[in-house]
Amino acid sequence: MSVLQNFVSGLNVSALLMVAALGLVVIFGLMKVINMAHGELIMIGAYMTYGTTTVLAWPFAAGMFMAFLSTAWIGIMMERLILKKLYAKPTETLLATYAISLMLERVIYFFYGAETKFVAMPIPGLLEIGGITMPYYNMFIILFSLLLLFFTLYLFKYTNFGKKVRAITQNRMMSACLGIETANVDTWTFGYGAGLAGLAGALLAPVISVTPGLGAPYLTESFMTVVVGGVQSVIGTALGSVIIGEMRTVLGGFTNTVMAKIIVFVIIIIVIRFKPEGLFVTERR
Amino acid sequence: MKIGIHALKKVPVHYWIDIALFIFILVFPLLGFKPFRVTYMNQFVAYLIFALSLDLIWGYMGLMSLGHAVLFGMGGYAIGLCAQLQNGAPAFMTREGMNQIPTLLFPMVNPIFATFAGLLLPTLFAFFLGKFLFKSKVSGVFFTIITLALAQIIKDLVINQQAFTNGFNGLQGVPRAFLGLGMDKTAYYYFVAGVLILVYVCCRWLTNSRLGKVAVSIRENESRVSFLGYNPENFKILIFAISGFLAGLSGLLYAPAANSITVEEISVAASTFVLIGLAVGGRGNLTGALVGAMGLQWAKVLLSESTAAYWQLVLGAILLIIIFVMPNGLIGQLLHLVYSLKTRKHKELTGGGA
Repeated sequence: MSVLQNFVSGLNVSALLMVAALGLVVIFGLMKVINMAHGELIMIGAYMTYGTTTVLAWPFAAGMFMAFLSTAWIGIMMERLILKKLYAKPTETLLATYAISLMLERVIYFFYGAETKFVAMPIPGLLEIGGITMPYYNMFIILFSLLLLFFTLYLFKYTNFGKKVRAITQNRMMSACLGIETANVDTWTFGYGAGLAGLAGALLAPVISVTPGLGAPYLTESFMTVVVGGVQSVIGTALGSVIIGEMRTVLGGFTNTVMAKIIVFVIIIIVIRFKPEGLFVTERR
Repeated sequence: MKIGIHALKKVPVHYWIDIALFIFILVFPLLGFKPFRVTYMNQFVAYLIFALSLDLIWGYMGLMSLGHAVLFGMGGYAIGLCAQLQNGAPAFMTREGMNQIPTLLFPMVNPIFATFAGLLLPTLFAFFLGKFLFKSKVSGVFFTIITLALAQIIKDLVINQQAFTNGFNGLQGVPRAFLGLGMDKTAYYYFVAGVLILVYVCCRWLTNSRLGKVAVSIRENESRVSFLGYNPENFKILIFAISGFLAGLSGLLYAPAANSITVEEISVAASTFVLIGLAVGGRGNLTGALVGAMGLQWAKVLLSESTAAYWQLVLGAILLIIIFVMPNGLIGQLLHLVYSLKTRKHKELTGGGA
């Protein structure tokens, strides 16, 4: 029974992982930017939610909205002011985003201090079916993450904007020659990816303690998820997050959570070694 | 005499900076600073070996490792564990219910064994990791991401395995000693400085040798290197293992200087801090690693004393400025400047040229 319970809890972990990684699949997968500030964007999303729901006492939905807007704005500023000048220089991009992550963490520290903040659970209570429990909030996270997944898929597959993004991914020069304003599309794509990170932070806020350093572990996890799923594939990332989330919680039932995390990471490294293009990417030539 | 001066002129500029830095390190304890400053300097001198080891793989071979501090930690934890085991099972072991030193750790009581373990473990770890990774399509970005994950794993493991590592608190009370030979503060300082100079000379020789040239060509164009009949993977593995050895050595010397080794020193942040030092100083010429790492460490200490809260902001700002103003780092920029001056002089002497 406890394995089943862990499986159900694992869905929640997977959903959170997916939202965190969706932002990164846009930024890292489509734009090839190693964004070391991704964890800090998640952190800022969580703090924005804290600010809106706890300090201003607005509803949680407003917190999510604010988290998305603020991190998207930070993302747009990052792209416009700094990353724009560093494309095709992966090392410099990595260092620059790391510099930004250091500064963002410190800025939040100035505003809110180092002590832990808490965000009240927006949807209390839990559902129980045959001894297996699931908090309503977790169900909300899962549904919302699926919604985001479908929206992101729709955005990049069917909208005009998404088609432009994919065209730029395939051939930047040619897209520019065809009159696509590549610089603008880059900015908005990065902004959307950053906004997704903020949303992940908003969703996380009620279930974790909010501190300026909360982003760092999520950075690694998001990268792992994206790489396992296949760097450019949104669906792959979604499946990757389910696999990682489930493996971690189900294995965690047998040992402890830290050991489960370590085992999963080792498995992922082995997977990357043999299939660097990702598990769910069919090779095209 | 004239020939002597002429020969000295042929020594590249950055070698002089290295020599000046080493002289500064050697006379530092005599300058009358407070003893804790000398202790800091001792730690930083040990850290410079780590910076050199990172420059070998990042600066020369173009592999950016975010988990290099793990190898550093292996050296440090080996010597730290040895110190803790001297009086039977330490408190963190008995707390977990182990009243005897586990049989597996018994050889670690011997400081000579522990020293060799602290050097061999990171070397072998780097060797096998290199063998595992470089023999596949893993390259560039993926290497960086894997090292990031690895650093996270090891950090979690160290925190989790409290019975062996004392978790968050780390291992305290590491005496100043090498191979079991206890030293006083001054002796240990000069010992570490001596090792640094030795390592530096070896790295210079290595990077000027054919091996170093192959490393640079791998950085510049790996497939061309393999077209020329070299096997880039083997070179990568070899240099990664050498770099692992040096990182372990650095940790081994650092832990006694700092009197402790903690989980913070093996985290991604620790690796990145040295990476930033390399970026600021300039990578791929060893001097940049020394100058950058030393400068950044002192900046951190001095700024943290006056304005602790601003330090991270300053670090981020320094890094951004360097990336935009001097992408080759301070020393890289200097070398570029000297080079362009020389060519201009040459052109003037030969009457234009172009």
